[in-house]
Amino acid sequence: MTATTRAIHLGRQEKPKRGSLLLLIPGIASVVLLGVLPLFIVARNSFAVADDYGGITDGLTLENYTKLLDPVYSKTLLFSLGLGLLNTVVCLVIGYLTSYYIVSRPTNRQGFLLLLVIIPFWTDFLVRTFAWITILGSGGPIAGILGIFGIAGFSVIPSNLAVILGLLYSFLPTAIFPIYASMRSIDPSLKEAATDLGASWWGVHRRVILPLSSPGILGAALLTFIPTMGVFVIPVLLGGGKDPLVGNLIVTLYTEFRNQPMGAAVSMVLLVLMLASMALVGLALKRSSTKRSSTKKTEA
Amino acid sequence: MKKLIVASVGVVAALALSSCSGTGGDAGPSTELNVYAWADEIPQTVFDAFTEETGIAVNVDNFDSNETMISKLAAGNSGYDIVEPSQYAVQQLVGQELLEPLDKSKIEGIDNLAPKFADPSYDPGLEYSVPWVWGTTGLLYNAACTGGEEITSWTSLFDPKWKGKINMLDNMLAAYIAGLQVNGYGADSTDEAEIAKATESLIEQKPLLSGYNSTNYGELVASGDVCISEAWGGTSTAKIVEQNPDVHYVLPEEGGSLWVDGLSIAKGAPHQDAAYEFINFLLRPEIAAMATNDGGLASANAAAQEHVTDQGLLSNAAVYASDEQVANADFIVDPGKAMRFYQDGWTRVKAS
Repeated sequence: MTATTRAIHLGRQEKPKRGSLLLLIPGIASVVLLGVLPLFIVARNSFAVADDYGGITDGLTLENYTKLLDPVYSKTLLFSLGLGLLNTVVCLVIGYLTSYYIVSRPTNRQGFLLLLVIIPFWTDFLVRTFAWITILGSGGPIAGILGIFGIAGFSVIPSNLAVILGLLYSFLPTAIFPIYASMRSIDPSLKEAATDLGASWWGVHRRVILPLSSPGILGAALLTFIPTMGVFVIPVLLGGGKDPLVGNLIVTLYTEFRNQPMGAAVSMVLLVLMLASMALVGLALKRSSTKRSSTKKTEA
Repeated sequence: MKKLIVASVGVVAALALSSCSGTGGDAGPSTELNVYAWADEIPQTVFDAFTEETGIAVNVDNFDSNETMISKLAAGNSGYDIVEPSQYAVQQLVGQELLEPLDKSKIEGIDNLAPKFADPSYDPGLEYSVPWVWGTTGLLYNAACTGGEEITSWTSLFDPKWKGKINMLDNMLAAYIAGLQVNGYGADSTDEAEIAKATESLIEQKPLLSGYNSTNYGELVASGDVCISEAWGGTSTAKIVEQNPDVHYVLPEEGGSLWVDGLSIAKGAPHQDAAYEFINFLLRPEIAAMATNDGGLASANAAAQEHVTDQGLLSNAAVYASDEQVANADFIVDPGKAMRFYQDGWTRVKAS
């Protein structure tokens, strides 16, 4: 992120030299080869015709997209969007509070607290999801506590609540880190000044810290929303697999249904949705920064 | 233009391959074999014994679904010699011309196979595959959870009495076995109306389900979170049945279904001589028995049964279903053009 912004600044100041362009070739080549090219293949496949054995024939058709208009697909898409949004909001709220807590600790303790956030993620994703099965399942601690109060045989799994908990757990760190990064650069004296001038806790957050950390929050929103849409293990293991997400749909289309073109079409729709959400965030960032600079000017 | 490129790449690859095999021929037989198999279906002891006897080093990669394996082979240049597709995957691979036809003159011991697998519907005459292990799709239930009631039929999976305590395999073809057979149809149906009726049953069933799970359904049944589950027979199911006296595995009276994973030679396999040697090695009764002794799976090799050390497994339905049950069960074959009806139906079931 910082490297790109620096490059942009450099670009504005002076024209890049030929030597530096040469140095960029390995990077550009790997991005084109590993990122752009596969994307183009998926885009091409989404207009292709599948043969009976899951292969791609050369044809050109829009059928893969028109079929998606069937309500069975839009239902899955809407459900995923809803769950993605919900997960993003929950992650942002908890991520914001956690980041605020970490930032307000002494500087030498902050590294340790961040380490605590990341430690569980040294274990494999699947293993952690299975751990949630144990925690939320009928033999687990939650069922045990409820058992004391006479609610026997209770299991949170399978349910959409378990899915939401699992998603929150998986994506919370990706929300915490960007928010923490932008909060850390806020001058603590701003908060003191606001408090001195009579702002309540809520007021300090609403008028000072929240606006100043908004780039981090918007970044965190993207980083949680986009991968949530592609999740496919959690809904099966924690949710019972009865309400599939777009990720499950793509996996099913590619593997079980041997329908690569349609899987590619769903992937492209998802890609467009994600680009749109990034564009929205970009616009929001631009607006908030122009607003801030204009208010600064009027204040001056 | 594209075809031209593909053709020229093909020619270059063929030249490279032929020159390779040429030098290989001069240098003597292969010293390597690349196997792509289901995880744990060919026990490590089998590979070790093969390497010890022949000096051929075996490189093994595992897959966890036929679809993964097919897409890897379809991508080309996999370098695998032996692959281990399930019955319907054999049909799909043959359709995509990804398997070498087997040269029967190079195979010894094929008469050792059990009659059910000697001339199966998915590969008549065993032109492309040699059956290795087999199993069934049936019902797993916890008697403590059902209050001692014996479960013998698919209808229990559709019975409101067990609402919230039923699990189905999260797999289209598996789900349709129950959906079709509960309506009295064959599990290998290709009839649009029959499949539509099965879809209807599966949609009606959905509110009764705890979920669709083909990952840890055995644990769910053992813990009692689920009373009845559709289940695949095999090692993990047999273990759960063995460990928990309340858990039983049965083939439903409607028939259930049969899967079989066999050995095939991948198209353009670089070490074909070693591949035939490996197939012949695995057809030996005492080696085939290792699939049961070390792998816990039923061997397709009838002559192997006397070499099974734990004779109790021969009567454990989760491993060796009885002959009459096997005769009653349907092979799940590739539905071909009817795949569309299954897919549309299953999408509707999942979205309902």
